Amino acid sequence: MENPHETCHCCQSQAENPRRRKLLGWAVGVINVVLLGSFLGPVVGFVGSPLGRRAKGRWVPLLNEAELPVGSTREASFVMSVQDGYMKADRKYTVFVRRTETGLVCFDPACTHLGCRIELQAAKGRFLCPCHGGVFDADGKVVSGPPPKPLDQHPVKLEAGKVWIYKEV
Amino acid sequence: MAKILDPKESRVGEEFESPEVKADRTRIGESEEEELRLARPSLKDWLDLRIGWWGFVRKNLDEPMPPGVGWWQTLGNLLLTLLMFQFLTGFALAMFYTPSPDHAHESVKHITYTVPLGSFVRGLHVWGSTIIVIAVVLHTLRVFFWGSYKKPRELTWLVGVFIFQIILGFSFTGYLLPWDQKAYWATVVGTRIAATIPFVGNDLLVLIRGGEEVGALTLTRFYAIHVMLLPALLMGLMGLHLYLVRRHHIAGPVIPQKGAPVPFYPVQLFKDAVVLLVGVGLVVYLALAFPPALEAIADPTGTDFAPRPEWYFLGLYELLKIMPAGYEVLATMVIPGAVSIGMILLPWLDRSPSRHPARRQWIIVTGVLVILMIGLMTLKGIIETPVHPPAAVTSEATTLDH
Repeated sequence: MENPHETCHCCQSQAENPRRRKLLGWAVGVINVVLLGSFLGPVVGFVGSPLGRRAKGRWVPLLNEAELPVGSTREASFVMSVQDGYMKADRKYTVFVRRTETGLVCFDPACTHLGCRIELQAAKGRFLCPCHGGVFDADGKVVSGPPPKPLDQHPVKLEAGKVWIYKEV
Repeated sequence: MAKILDPKESRVGEEFESPEVKADRTRIGESEEEELRLARPSLKDWLDLRIGWWGFVRKNLDEPMPPGVGWWQTLGNLLLTLLMFQFLTGFALAMFYTPSPDHAHESVKHITYTVPLGSFVRGLHVWGSTIIVIAVVLHTLRVFFWGSYKKPRELTWLVGVFIFQIILGFSFTGYLLPWDQKAYWATVVGTRIAATIPFVGNDLLVLIRGGEEVGALTLTRFYAIHVMLLPALLMGLMGLHLYLVRRHHIAGPVIPQKGAPVPFYPVQLFKDAVVLLVGVGLVVYLALAFPPALEAIADPTGTDFAPRPEWYFLGLYELLKIMPAGYEVLATMVIPGAVSIGMILLPWLDRSPSRHPARRQWIIVTGVLVILMIGLMTLKGIIETPVHPPAAVTSEATTLDH
């Protein structure tokens, strides 16, 4: 049985009109782009929303001053309440603080190579990254291995008998 | 009594009959209209006319195999089967799993140690992923050495390369889900790789992690990608790959062998079945003999854990180790990117009209060198235990005196 539209003059003339065909083809294309855009736009904005979030920081007490004698470096942990996506979490952070004659320095424990947790090697006076073997000296400068830059630092101060650090989350 | 139709009037169902349906109608004998009108068609014929299933099956079973095709051509079927099994075990695991930092580890622990058969099903999923990586590598190597990616199969190869990358994407995103130490730290390092890209690296890192740090939104992102985005992409690409394989048929051996092509069924299908039995049997054995482990819950402050990726990413891990300071982007982006782009462009890089390895020497030499490099680096990673700190130096009270 033949397709009735093939013999219908009305359909034939409409389908064969090249301008009309082209116009309708374009219209379908535009409708598709609008449809896709109306969904894709919000979805991309939604998924990419963490990019717009700005880190907030605050001063946190870390240690009593007496726990960090001049000339020492030590590891210290503190707990901060943070907003982790949809949940509030008490997150434990660790830093390394160093006190010298000239003042205080606080190192972030993330290796500047790929973010592994560095370790303090007290006997050798250095920090070591267990992942790819990066080594930092007591000042946080790169001694050897792949790390591209010195250890990141957090602002640190002595106030009211305590060591405070400024932590951004 | 059938109603007598006006000759100008079309019969129900025949107005827009496609050539495929017409062919099926002829094949099952419905063209003898009067006969079928009296004797009702069987359910099989009825379904066949509507779906065309048996014609499809027949066509695939009769697919001509060039002489010389054999065991090496069974790997695609093995991959297809293992991937479908991954979907099945993944679906089952998802029923017990919760993608949230405060429940993920607990739910995997529950799956592994409490739910009946939980350890086995998780084992099938974990070991399945490893065997899939091995199978996809072997499948790719076979196509590479046989030169089967050449005209007209360039796009079959290209789609295959994308499937390969999606499989690695599955491994990377699935690795985080148990939310144990291994999972957490491998993801910290793995995602940080994105940050080494100049200019956009940090934004990309935030986009992948859902924030500055690996946390709740990283887990939900990876889960959504692992169970929705990648399976959808994989299914589409696998369908396209199979369509292209059937459209261009299987490439025979490099040197054509004498003899007529034989149908896929039964000889090649039997070989496929044997390899499936061995491959799937291996996954079952490994799942039973080596049940999946679960380490301590992810601890961002923990120092007693040396992060290591899954074994098939160890080559990259070693490459990162040997790269000097300031050049890490070479190991994170440039070298892996060059290998990926090289794989994508392979059919166009290799201009030799011959499929014989001896007549496309530079591509074979380059390929072998790359394979050797990846193999040796992976082996180095497997053999070497990463530097592991003695517990004493990691305690909170450790001090460094000057």
